[in-house]
Amino acid sequence: MSTPESEPVTSEDGDTGDSDRTLYVESPIIMGTVRVVAPFVFTFGLFIMFHGADSAGGGFQGGVIVSTVILMLAVAFGVESTRDWVTPERLVAIVGVGVSVVLLLGIGTVALGGSFLEYDVVPIDHFNKYGIELFEIGIGVIVSGIVAGLFFGLAAGASGDQRNDRDADEREGLL
Amino acid sequence: MIDPVPVALLALVLACALATAVLRDVLAAIIAFAAYSLGIAMIWVLLEAPDVGLTEAAVGAGVTTILFLVTITKTVRPPSEAIFESLDPKGLLVAVLIAGVLASTLGALPPVGSAETPVAQSEVTDYYLDNAYEQTEVKNAVTAVLAAYRGFDTMGEAVVVFAAGVGLLVVLGREVFA
Repeated sequence: MSTPESEPVTSEDGDTGDSDRTLYVESPIIMGTVRVVAPFVFTFGLFIMFHGADSAGGGFQGGVIVSTVILMLAVAFGVESTRDWVTPERLVAIVGVGVSVVLLLGIGTVALGGSFLEYDVVPIDHFNKYGIELFEIGIGVIVSGIVAGLFFGLAAGASGDQRNDRDADEREGLL
Repeated sequence: MIDPVPVALLALVLACALATAVLRDVLAAIIAFAAYSLGIAMIWVLLEAPDVGLTEAAVGAGVTTILFLVTITKTVRPPSEAIFESLDPKGLLVAVLIAGVLASTLGALPPVGSAETPVAQSEVTDYYLDNAYEQTEVKNAVTAVLAAYRGFDTMGEAVVVFAAGVGLLVVLGREVFA
């Protein structure tokens, strides 16, 4: 995986006082550490997610660990540039795919004439095992997407970035 | 003979919990809270619940800490030399009372690893352990229970996580996490 390419966002007014702390500080130590650690954490997260059926772990834990990679990149290279690299729309789409996979597995087995999550009815060899794996991966995708999303949502408020704010009328309409 | 490892871990957890409560600097309290989660995660591993330990380490010590840190970036440090927060006697009384009520139930708990616990004696547990591998073809019985036997539960949990994200978007009045 590659790191976000755009320039890290630095604080514009240089040395800021305590009262005006910005979210992101460019630090060669953090950037170097994240560069080395991120691929390993990502691999470990995927391992936990995929291997959860046979050892400790599962979709939830693996998903959280995978999402920490995005959080690490954001801490090291700036939240805005990482968010633009991930693209917020893609994040929402990924979560939607995860929910669809889980729902499809559950309801799909019912549609095939079994009961809920009765993997046996799917005419694929060893679908019990693969079905459980798929279920776990679906959960992992949901969790990693939502955790990264929560982080970006919170960080957008913290950095005072107003450009995505809707006006009050529109917000009322949504609620 | 008391095993020193759990005792040391419990002392660490207790010390971190106290530090979280009394430290005046919010940043220090957050770091103490992360250390507390790490200690709890190690205790889960000692109690042979690695699945829970992984969750605690990833969510408690990892993600929650970062979310807290992001949250406090908008705040300012109070200009005070004091290291500890001054304790509110009423709040302390309530906290001690709650801890006392909870501690009074400790005597009813079975010893760790006891064969007499309802879980260990339950027919359902035996059924899962006897049949999980043959019926689900996965070696981790925890996963077998979560993703197959009680999959409806797990699907609900996954959708709850999804709902949390949707709830945040609704509150922010946005369509994407930005």
